Amino acid sequence: MSPKKETESFLPLTPAMFHILLALADGEKHGYAILKEVARRTDDKVRLSAGTLYGNLARLESAGLIAESSRRPEVVLDDERRRYYLLTGFGREVAVAEAQRMEEALVQARAKKLFRKPKLA
Amino acid sequence: MEKQTQPFSQRLFRALVRVLPFDFRTNYQGEMEGVFREQRREVEEHGGILEAAKLWKETIVGIFSTAPREHWQILTSDCAYAARVMRRNRGFTLMAVLTLALGIGANTAIFSVVHAVLLRPLPYPAGQQLIFVRQHEKQIGVEDLRFSVKEIQDYRAQNRTLSGLVEFHAMSFTLFGHGDPERVRTGVVSYNYFDLFGVKPLLGRTFLPDDDKLGAPPVLLLSYEYWKNNFGSDPQIVGKTFEMNDKVHTVVGILPSVPQYPNENDVYMPTSACPFRSNKMHLESRDMRMMEVFGRMKPGVSTGQANADMATIAAGLKSSYPKSYPDNVGFTSSAAPLLEELTGKARPTLLLLLAAAAFVLLIACANVANMTLSRMVQRERELAVRTALGAGRSRLLRQLLTESSLLAVVGGLLGLLFTYASIQLLTEFVARMTPRAREIHIDSGVLLFTVAATLGTSIIFGTLSALFSRANVAVSLKEGSAGSGTGRRQDRLRSTLIVSQVAFSFMLLIGAGLMLRSLFKLQQVDAGIMPQRVLTMRTDFNWSKYDDDEKTRLVVQKLLDRVRTEPGVLTAAISSRYPFEPEIITAGAAAVSFNFQIEGRQLRPGEAPPMSTYAAVSPDYFKSLGIPLKAGRLFADTDTPAFKAPDVVIINEAARHQLWPNEDPIGKRISADGGQHWAQIVGIVGDVREFGLDHPPSPEFYGQQAQGPQPAALVVRTATEPQSMSRALTRAVHDVDPQTAVTHILSLEQARYESLASPRVTSSLLGIFAGLALAIATAGIGGIMALMVNQRVREIGIRIALGARPRSILQMILGKGLLLAALGVAIGIAGAIAMTGLVKSLLFEVPPTDLVTFGAVGLTLFVAAALASLLPARRAAAVDPNVALRAE
Repeated sequence: MSPKKETESFLPLTPAMFHILLALADGEKHGYAILKEVARRTDDKVRLSAGTLYGNLARLESAGLIAESSRRPEVVLDDERRRYYLLTGFGREVAVAEAQRMEEALVQARAKKLFRKPKLA
Repeated sequence: MEKQTQPFSQRLFRALVRVLPFDFRTNYQGEMEGVFREQRREVEEHGGILEAAKLWKETIVGIFSTAPREHWQILTSDCAYAARVMRRNRGFTLMAVLTLALGIGANTAIFSVVHAVLLRPLPYPAGQQLIFVRQHEKQIGVEDLRFSVKEIQDYRAQNRTLSGLVEFHAMSFTLFGHGDPERVRTGVVSYNYFDLFGVKPLLGRTFLPDDDKLGAPPVLLLSYEYWKNNFGSDPQIVGKTFEMNDKVHTVVGILPSVPQYPNENDVYMPTSACPFRSNKMHLESRDMRMMEVFGRMKPGVSTGQANADMATIAAGLKSSYPKSYPDNVGFTSSAAPLLEELTGKARPTLLLLLAAAAFVLLIACANVANMTLSRMVQRERELAVRTALGAGRSRLLRQLLTESSLLAVVGGLLGLLFTYASIQLLTEFVARMTPRAREIHIDSGVLLFTVAATLGTSIIFGTLSALFSRANVAVSLKEGSAGSGTGRRQDRLRSTLIVSQVAFSFMLLIGAGLMLRSLFKLQQVDAGIMPQRVLTMRTDFNWSKYDDDEKTRLVVQKLLDRVRTEPGVLTAAISSRYPFEPEIITAGAAAVSFNFQIEGRQLRPGEAPPMSTYAAVSPDYFKSLGIPLKAGRLFADTDTPAFKAPDVVIINEAARHQLWPNEDPIGKRISADGGQHWAQIVGIVGDVREFGLDHPPSPEFYGQQAQGPQPAALVVRTATEPQSMSRALTRAVHDVDPQTAVTHILSLEQARYESLASPRVTSSLLGIFAGLALAIATAGIGGIMALMVNQRVREIGIRIALGARPRSILQMILGKGLLLAALGVAIGIAGAIAMTGLVKSLLFEVPPTDLVTFGAVGLTLFVAAALASLLPARRAAAVDPNVALRAE
C-alpha cells in the first residue's frame, strides 16, 4: 500500500479522533489533559468520557497514529498511573490529510456560495 | 485498605469498566480511573447536581459504546487467526469437525425426537388437562378392559373432576361413491370429542349434539390428510355424500392437520352412525365393552384427584351391578395423563438412545480435546512467542476458546445437516412406538439444543485443551522445550481422556451388544408356525350385505372355493386374524381375549374366571400356517350347522398346561355365555407366538369359522413366492364380491420381520453409535501412542543403545496401550452395571449383565487397542539409536 493510500484509508476521521490528534499536535499529553483540551477547544461540543477517550486512544495507538511517550514529567508532578501520548509522524500525516479534506470540502461549499444567503430575484 | 477508603462512585466506575475486555482493562483501567477521578473532582468543585448527572450519563454511554467494539475487534481477529490455523492443519480440522459433527448430529437427531414425543406438551389447548381413563381387571391381568355404552353414561354422570368425558373406538368401514370401494379407518366418537380436545374444523363444522342422537342422518368428518390425498383438497367437498354401511353419509367438515390420538383415522363419525355401537346389544349390555374414554379435568384438578374419582365410580358400579363385575377379578378404573399414555411405550427406548447419543458426544469431545492437546505440542513455540510479544495469558485462553468454538460451530452446522438427513427415517421408526411421531420436526427448541450442544462441546474440549496450555505456556519459554514436568502432566491428562473414551465406548458397545444378542435370540425363537411361502391379506366384506351368519358362511365358502382354484394355491383359510398381524400386535392380546367357564368346574372364592385369546378359523388354517396337531383332531368341513354338528373348539398346548394340567382336555366343554351354549374341545395344537416373538405363548382357543363366522383375513400357503400371487388372489376375492376391500397384503415372513422392526432399529442405532465410539476411541489410542513414541524417541534410543531388544520396546509400548484399554474397560464395566436399568426393559432373554456380551466387548476393545498401538510400537522398536540421540 502506498503511503498516500494508507493515509486515506483512515479518512474521514471521527470528530473525536481528529480532535485527539489535534490535541497532541503541539506536544505530548496525558489522557485527562487531552480530554480537557478537546472540550475547551470545541467549546464543549466534542465531549469525551473516560470510555470513549481510551477506546479511541487504543485504536489510534494500534494503528500507529499515536504512541506512548517514554518521557515523564518531574516526579512531583507525575501521577504514576498517567501515561503520556505523542503524535507519530504518520499520525501527523493523517491529521493533515483530514484537515485538507475538510478544507477542500469547505472550498467547494464556498464556491457554491453555501454561506451566503440566496438573494431573491 | 485502599478499597475501603474509595468513594462509592469510584467503585461503581470500576464495576462499570468490567464490561470492557480484559486486555483493554489491563492496559487502560488505571488511567481511566484517574481521568474519571479528575472529572468528578471538577464537577464537585464547580458544577452542581446537573453536571454530575451529565458526567455519569456520558461515562456510562461511553463505556457501553466502547465495549462491544473492543470485544468485536478481538473476536474478529481471533476468528481470522483461528481460520488461518484451521486452514494450515487441514487434516486435524477435518477430523475434529467430522467427529464433532457426528456427535452433535446424533444428539440433535435424537433430541428432536425426545423433544417432540416426551417433552413438548400435547398440541391442544391446556393439553395437560387431558386424561385417558381405563378399566382394569388387575387380578386376571387385564390392563385395559375398555368401556361399554352403559359404563360411559355412568362415568359421565357420576364424575366430579372432569369438565368433559368422550368416547372413541376405531372401526374399519368400506366407503363407496369415490372410485373403487375403499377401506377407511374410521374413528367413532362422541359429538363433543373435538370440542374436548379443542380442535376447530378447517372447513365446515365438527359434530353437533343432534348428530349423536339415534337415527340422526349420518355425517362424516374427513381428516386433513385423507382430504388432501384422496380429494386433492377439494374445497367443495363439504355437503358431498358417500355410501357407507348401506347408508348415505354427508361430509360436514374437514379437520385441520393435527396429530390424531389414539390413532390416525381417515374419517370420523358420531356414535349413532356406527352400526355396531348403535345396535341394541351394545346399547343395553353393560358387558359389551369396546370403547376408549378420554376426559378433560376441570381447572385445578390434579391427575391424582381424577384417578381417585374414577376408582370411586368403579367401586360404586361394582356394588350396584355385581353380576357385571365379579369379585375375584380385581375390577377398578384409573386415570392417567394422556401424554403419558401416548408416549409410555417409546420412553425407555428414547431415553436409552439419548444416553447413547450423549456418550458419543462426550467421546467426541474427549477425542477432539486430545487431538487439540497433541497439536498444542506443535504450537507450543507459537504460543510462547505470542506470550513473549505481550499477549496476556487470558488473551491466549480466549484465542484458544475461539478456535475450539469455531471448530464446534462448523461441526454443529454439519451435524444439523446430518439431522435433517436422518429425521425422516427416525420418524418412521418412532411411529411404531407412539402416535406423536408425526410431530417430530426441527423447530426452534431443537435448534436451541444444537446451539447449546455446540457451545457446551466447545467449552468442554476448549477448556480441557486450554487447561493444559495454561500450565504449559508459562514454562515453555523458560525451559526452551517441552519440560519433563509438563510432559508428564500432559501425558496424564491425555491418558485420562483416552481411558474415559474407552470406558464410554465400552458402555455403548455393551448397550449395542445386549440389544443385538436380544434381537438374535428373538430371531431364533420358534414361533410355532412355518412362515415360508404364506400370503396373508385383510379381506373386509361389505358387512351390511352379510348381516347374518348364514350369508357370511356362504360367502366365506364361496371365497375359499374360488381361491383354491387359483393355480399355485396349496391350502387356503379364512380367519379372524393371523400370527404377527401388525394391527393385532398394536392392539395387544387383550383386544382378542374372552372369559369362559369350564363345565363341571366351580371357581373357588377369589379365583378369577379363566381367560384366553380367541380366533375363528376355517379348517385349513392349521395346515396353511404349519401349526402341528398334538392330540385329537383338527376341524372338519362337517363341523357346521348344515350338518347339525355341535360347536367345537381347538386349544393350544399352553391352554392345556394351564387349565387341564393333570387331565385330558379332549371332550371337555366350555361356555363363553354363562352356560347358554357349550363348545367341545376336539383337538390340541402347538403353541404359536401370535403377538410377537417376545410374547411367551399363552392359552389360545380356536373356534370353527363356520360355527361363528368372523372373516377378516385370507391366509394362503402357496407353491411359489407368495407375493407373486397377490394380484391373482385379489382378483379372486373381487370375483366373489367386488365390494370387498383387500388391504395389508403381506407374506407371513414379512409380517414376522416387521414385528421385530422396533428392536431391530434400536439395535442398529445403538450399533452405529457404538461403532462410531469404537472408531473414535481406537483412533484416540493410536494417536496418543504415536505421540508418546515421538516424545520419547530419545529415551527409546538410549534404551536400545544400552542393549534393550526391539522386542521389549515393542512390548513396552503395546503394554502401555493395553493398560489404558484395561483401565477404560474396568471403569466401563462399573458404568455398564450401574446403567443396566436403562436397557433392562428392552431385552429379551438376555440379562443386562450378560457375561458373553461383556466378554466379547472387552475382547473387542483390547484387540482394537492392541491394533491401534501396534503401528507406533513397531516404529518405536525400529528406532535407530544413532539418529535418535543425534536429533537432540
